[in-house]
Amino acid sequence: MTEYLDWRKEDFPFHTRVETRWGDNDMLGHLNNVVYNRLIETVVVRFTMGPLDIDWQRDPCYPIVIESLCRFHQQLSFPETVTACLRAGRTGGSSVTYEIAIFGEDNERPASTGHFVHVFVNKETQSSMPIPEAYRKVIEAYQR
Amino acid sequence: MSAPKAEERPAYGYFLELQSRWMDNDLYGHVNNVTYYSYFDTVVNYFLIEKGGLDIHNAPVIGVVVESQCNYSQPVAYPDMIHCGLRIGKLGNSSVRYEVGIFRNDEQKASAAGHFVHVFVDRETNKPVPIPDQIKDAFLSIMKADAA
Repeated sequence: MTEYLDWRKEDFPFHTRVETRWGDNDMLGHLNNVVYNRLIETVVVRFTMGPLDIDWQRDPCYPIVIESLCRFHQQLSFPETVTACLRAGRTGGSSVTYEIAIFGEDNERPASTGHFVHVFVNKETQSSMPIPEAYRKVIEAYQR
Repeated sequence: MSAPKAEERPAYGYFLELQSRWMDNDLYGHVNNVTYYSYFDTVVNYFLIEKGGLDIHNAPVIGVVVESQCNYSQPVAYPDMIHCGLRIGKLGNSSVRYEVGIFRNDEQKASAAGHFVHVFVDRETNKPVPIPDQIKDAFLSIMKADAA
């Protein structure tokens, strides 16, 4: 059940680089655990604004997070620039699970792995709704 | 890997009340998902300091996080008061699984619930070590409270 330790960058079709900042380190000298979750959120948001092309103003629905998980394998520290990688995992009627791996500058192995579950909700009613077909097509193209 | 279900206050043996802050809200107008993890590490560390006598600046043994998870049921938003419930899910020799419930104001049902796993390591060598006695006693004290 630890296959995620073998995840490699090339297993993921969407990558984004994120610079760390001084304030990301905590008093133990490495990125605070909360910041790893921020990196996971960042790659998901960049995917939704990039390939998925969601427009929060225009679209009649938007995604909200219902679950997130982060495993910590290696320490990351300011000032390194990290690479956060995403692929689409399981999809349901209205939800998608993104699988995430975060890599430090000099490492083939992930420093962190986890997942992030989005549910699409109708902007007016705030209730869940089927993933719009255009989004589903893109999501499926990023499944591995 | 099943998450704890959203639960009620009596399921938690220790509480810490936090004032949410303006910056906790995101564009959706409620507390950002990542901020919940900040509530988690605040209640866990406060518990270790208050009940376990942890000296965060000098202790030879520190807790490092190996996994965290959160399930979001209902939003919370600034200026809500955040009541963080804490209990011990699993106690090992050098690791502990905390389970945290996030309660909005006086609500009895958790708005979010998750877990946080610490491994205690030697501050110098980074190698796992047994949980220090005073901290272990603190865990046992709220485990008994859970059972009561």
